[in-house]
Amino acid sequence: MADISFGLIALQVLTGLALGCIFVLVATGLTLIFGMLNVVNFAHGAFYAAGAYIGVFAFGYTGNFWISLVVVPVVMAVLGMFTERYLLRPLYGRDMSYPLLLTFGLGYVVIELIRILFGTDGIPFSAPAALKGSMFLGDFSFPRYRLFVMGFTAVMLVGLWLFIEKTPFGLIVRAGARDAEIVKVLGIDTSKVWLLIFALGTAIAGIAGFLAAPMRGVIPEMGVTVLIEAFVITVIGGMGSLPGAIIAGLLMGVVVSITSYFAADFSSIVMFAIMAVILIVRPQGLLGRPEAAR
Amino acid sequence: MTANIVLSAENVTLRYGKFVALGDISVAFRSGELTSIIGPNGAGKSSFFNVISGARSPTEGKIVFEGKDITGLPQHKFVHAGISKSFQITNIFPQLSTHENVRIAAQATVAGKNFWSRRASLVATDETARSLLDEVGLGDAGHRIAAELAHGQQRALEIAMALACSPRLLLMDEPTAGMSPEETKHMVRLIERLAASRTVVLVEHKMKMVLGISKRVIVLHHGQLLADGTPGDVRNDPEVKRVYLGQGAH
Amino acid sequence: MPEAVQIANSRSGSATLAVAHSIEKHRVAAVVMVLAILPVVLPYPALAINILIFGLFATGFNLLFGYTGLLSLGHAALFGAGAYGCGIAIAKLGLDLFSAVLCGVALALLVSAVIGALAIRTRGVYFGMVTLALAQCLYFIFYQWVSVTGGESGLRGVSVKRIDLGPLHVDLLNPMQKYYFFLLFVAVALAGISRILRSPFGAVIEGIRENENRARASGYSLDVMKWMSFVLSGAFCGLAGALNAIHLGIVSIETLFYTTSGTVVMMTLLGGMGTFFGPFVGAALFLALEDIASNWTTHWQLVAGLIFIACVRFFPKGVWGSVLARTVG
Repeated sequence: MADISFGLIALQVLTGLALGCIFVLVATGLTLIFGMLNVVNFAHGAFYAAGAYIGVFAFGYTGNFWISLVVVPVVMAVLGMFTERYLLRPLYGRDMSYPLLLTFGLGYVVIELIRILFGTDGIPFSAPAALKGSMFLGDFSFPRYRLFVMGFTAVMLVGLWLFIEKTPFGLIVRAGARDAEIVKVLGIDTSKVWLLIFALGTAIAGIAGFLAAPMRGVIPEMGVTVLIEAFVITVIGGMGSLPGAIIAGLLMGVVVSITSYFAADFSSIVMFAIMAVILIVRPQGLLGRPEAAR
Repeated sequence: MTANIVLSAENVTLRYGKFVALGDISVAFRSGELTSIIGPNGAGKSSFFNVISGARSPTEGKIVFEGKDITGLPQHKFVHAGISKSFQITNIFPQLSTHENVRIAAQATVAGKNFWSRRASLVATDETARSLLDEVGLGDAGHRIAAELAHGQQRALEIAMALACSPRLLLMDEPTAGMSPEETKHMVRLIERLAASRTVVLVEHKMKMVLGISKRVIVLHHGQLLADGTPGDVRNDPEVKRVYLGQGAH
Repeated sequence: MPEAVQIANSRSGSATLAVAHSIEKHRVAAVVMVLAILPVVLPYPALAINILIFGLFATGFNLLFGYTGLLSLGHAALFGAGAYGCGIAIAKLGLDLFSAVLCGVALALLVSAVIGALAIRTRGVYFGMVTLALAQCLYFIFYQWVSVTGGESGLRGVSVKRIDLGPLHVDLLNPMQKYYFFLLFVAVALAGISRILRSPFGAVIEGIRENENRARASGYSLDVMKWMSFVLSGAFCGLAGALNAIHLGIVSIETLFYTTSGTVVMMTLLGGMGTFFGPFVGAALFLALEDIASNWTTHWQLVAGLIFIACVRFFPKGVWGSVLARTVG
């Protein structure tokens, strides 16, 4: 234990933050869709996986990471729009369980399609040459790719925030989240809003999957694991709270990373343990409103 | 003249974050007295009802019922203590029969956790349900699915369910909401009958009706107590007139 | 809609009404009779045994989902707990079959008590999320606890070859005898579930499904009621798991994986949630379809997912539920 250097811990924390960024992106997409459309998208994890596979495929085709990074959200957005328009929209107005169940089934379909198209074994994928290796800051070396992931996530979150807070469309989104009826009465076409939100959430999930590919690997089941992680983070961070999801995501990323180094046996269940504790002492989550939970 | 105090709300404040729904309200309800709570929209009437029915815990203050401090207890304990509320928006079990709706409500204070006996063996709750349906005028609608009842009948069912636990304090949140004048007359007569044997507190918008049947009227405004007295007192209160000016009391 | 009320409001002829009413009254016997002829009707007994086991699993799940209105996506944990509890009792502790089944049910009760207590602290869709997460947590725990559970390769040696009930000998290697032996357990379980549904508690959970706020305002402690429903559901699902362990002779780790949770949800929805016989119909349909599809493709999940989507979109009442609605409702 005496050999644990600060640099080692810093590295674990950084790795954890990078992992946390992936969690944050997935949870953000999920919360966006849930907040606006009141739909828990159980296919969200499958879309994450699909994004990874599409990105890897695009990379295989073009040889260019950056082009692939653009292709992923575009394709995923289309997929998202299709899902919202033809699968989910007919279910609005019914009990909340129906969209949940439908997306649950959709998740199965998408993951199996991935297996059919790309095989069951998974594809190795490593970071592009420009982002490989480590950067040296003072005495410490940090993996470049992880820094990139963190930076990219930050840029995306800022962009999302600007979109929602500063643009007229974002205003509609915020208003709609609060009262869908009023927005409709004001003559705004809510169906376009739903389409966009779902496409946005799905695109974010896809990007997250592609970004995570060099870090966590690419296998068809990656979608299931990350979905459960996203749920745990949503519960910990607070039902319906975007800042909560961000804090919880980053925190959990670090916790899992550190645990996997010092107590590897527990790394897969530490998140659940924390979730259980939160449910006991503060069921609404860190930043959730009490009424939301009770 | 000191009539029995059945429920007193002492210095009750209810806050949602920064928004103050109820500000330091103190009210004591006397046993057997029909009281109405009125006030403009947003005055805090529903919030006040939520607090004294146990649906919400006050941020500050106490609720004392029949001498016992029940502040902070969960809603179902309020019901077991003897306080019941009927909702402003009809709140029933839509796909169950009318009779079953009331029977389940009546069962609550008797046998909820019993998962072994037969329902049919609870003869007493069955009887209670039947007599309650008779009392609110739904005696021959027992077998019909609740969702298929007319609006006025659903409101009556709502009342029957609120009565099922034999409450000594009955809170009624806008019982005549959405009713025709004919239905309203029926409901008013029912309320007067009910008020004869228990303490009833109403929240209502229909001023004429309220001033006609109440023994006491409380006026809320912006979460504060504005006036508290007989209908005559309140009608002539200058503050009340100012607040309602332009609202067209009818 | 509860079947009894459906029958009361029927518009069909009085003969159908009388028959339906009588079946409803003796629903356990009716279902057991159908199950009794099942192995004779089906091409092979293994399918029948699976229908029996998963039908019970789905019926237990239906208590929570169809009748109480709570969608748990982690019921694999309860099924798996029953399977492992029973399996460990036989393979590692050398207990007899009946004690082992009891162990399985006991472990399932424990797991459902814990998961239930945590999950009911959430509202709405979060219930599904938390149950899914906690079930996955159990999966990880059992995956790593190799000394007790066998980890990834599963628990082996859960073999019971014969049972002696006094003068009767049941040869568990004979599929037909195994089937009817299991049917005894299932019949008792169904009687129990039917009784629970007909009890005062049964009325309350339907009230909770219909309108939580009203149930609370009427004076019920929702937390206690929901928890009880979860635990009771767990007992029956655990029993199904225990029978499955004995049937297969091993307990695979997949029993605890989320796909098992998804399977029981699909079966219940397909058959008809909130109906007594629906879960068995759903299990039978699902397993039959899986059997047929597996002859054509290895991608059964795709077919299952598509069927499920179609069901949610077009047949939310499920097959049996639609049949009931049409003939009796």
